[in-house]
Amino acid sequence: MIEFIDIHKSFGPKRVLKGVSLTVDQGQVLYVIGSSGAGKSVLVKHLVGLLRPDSGRIILDGRDVTWLSEAEFYAVRKKCAMVFQNSTLFDSMSILDNVALPYRKHFRLSRDEASRRALDKLALVQMEDAARRFPGDLGDGLRKRVAIARALTLEPEFVIFDEPTTGLDPVAAANVDALIRSLRNDTGVTAIVVSHDLRSIFSVADRIAMIYDGNIRLDGTPQEFRASDDPVVSQFINGRADGPMKI
Amino acid sequence: MRRLLMAPLSSVGRSALGLAETIGGATLLFGRILRALIPPRFDRDETWRQLYGVGVKSYAIVVVTALFVGAIMVIQTAFYVRRTGATSLLGYGVGFTVFAEIGPILIGLMFSGRVGANTTAELGTMVVTEQVDALRALAIDPIRYLVVPRFVAMMIMMGLLMVLGDGFAIIGATLTADTLIGVDPSVLISSLLESHLLDEYLLGLGKALCFGVSISVLSCWFGLGVRGGATGVGRAVNNSVVANAAAIFFIDFVVGWLFPVGL
Repeated sequence: MIEFIDIHKSFGPKRVLKGVSLTVDQGQVLYVIGSSGAGKSVLVKHLVGLLRPDSGRIILDGRDVTWLSEAEFYAVRKKCAMVFQNSTLFDSMSILDNVALPYRKHFRLSRDEASRRALDKLALVQMEDAARRFPGDLGDGLRKRVAIARALTLEPEFVIFDEPTTGLDPVAAANVDALIRSLRNDTGVTAIVVSHDLRSIFSVADRIAMIYDGNIRLDGTPQEFRASDDPVVSQFINGRADGPMKI
Repeated sequence: MRRLLMAPLSSVGRSALGLAETIGGATLLFGRILRALIPPRFDRDETWRQLYGVGVKSYAIVVVTALFVGAIMVIQTAFYVRRTGATSLLGYGVGFTVFAEIGPILIGLMFSGRVGANTTAELGTMVVTEQVDALRALAIDPIRYLVVPRFVAMMIMMGLLMVLGDGFAIIGATLTADTLIGVDPSVLISSLLESHLLDEYLLGLGKALCFGVSISVLSCWFGLGVRGGATGVGRAVNNSVVANAAAIFFIDFVVGWLFPVGL
């Protein structure tokens, strides 16, 4: 289980998070939604120590990880993988080497064995045929799939997806959604998905939390979101230009 | 009026703070590199890749620079050699200046412009595209994976390129002496060998190793410190080139002062 407790975070004078509290249960797919710049990515980056809160606590499986040192965070990151918005594959390496890298570094496997395991992971996302290509040769959707394969190499219990379908065509986005669903169903991982892709949100989410003005505006099931009479929530999920939301 | 008077002062203050930040940050990074080296825990594949990359990227420019350094030293002394007929001192003059002073400085400057700037740009781009954060998220230490291999590669290659550069500087000097002032190559070489310039040679090599350390640490520090996208990368590369050049002259001064030769 993951708990964010009263998280505050500012960048200079800009207060991004103003006391966010949120719980993610085991095996659940939680979508964190909100407009661009609302602080969704900022919130989830705290979980893997890429950002530190100004105040508040983060509890992962009962352990307070808020102020772990960078070295102590490495153990947390092996349990809790992150797929970045821009895939962040290493340009200088082939797709196979990108996915084999965590095997070589953490399991001290030979190059051949690491490559064999990496190919297995690439097969999970139907990308084994692209193994010898380089990230620059692939489109956004394919790069996202490789990034997911790489994140799964350490067999994480928790996976954070930062805007996994942003910028993808509808078919590629549906493929990524299907991958997230199959991960939950087949491996039981707990997932936090940062998104503002409404189609994805309502087709995959077990639960949704909306961040607005630095706080959680609504935390509930997709049905509760659809039924909500909160004007801000309603404006967002209906994608209306007019309404009370501050951009 | 007050603002006009304060502007130069605040500019000096900002520069002093920037300098302190660079020295402090680079020193801390150097400490982290040493910690990763004792015992050695860094990526060997990446180190080989860097050794190859740094060597291949730099040898041509080092060879060209060294040939001209040797040639220039001969041109500068040609007037006196012709006038005094002291051809037997030509090898000593060229060897002393090339090995101990001009060779390491010019090759260091070329190396920092070629490899150092490239390192800052590469790491800076990795920072702004979140590739460094992706490494951290995969529980891979960017210092051990990215910085230490570059440090090792630059230090070793700077030493090897200095050896190569010294050789080509002598070739450049010999060819120029023969062509421009009619000094037979055997005269210059025997003058060089009889001058017993081992101390100067080792001093130059020591300086090159120190330059390799400073170029790698400063380039990586500026690269990892990039903020603000493509503009930030450009600014970091600019700062890295200036800082590396300043560090090369400072180190040359300190090493030359601590280990005087030819006295």
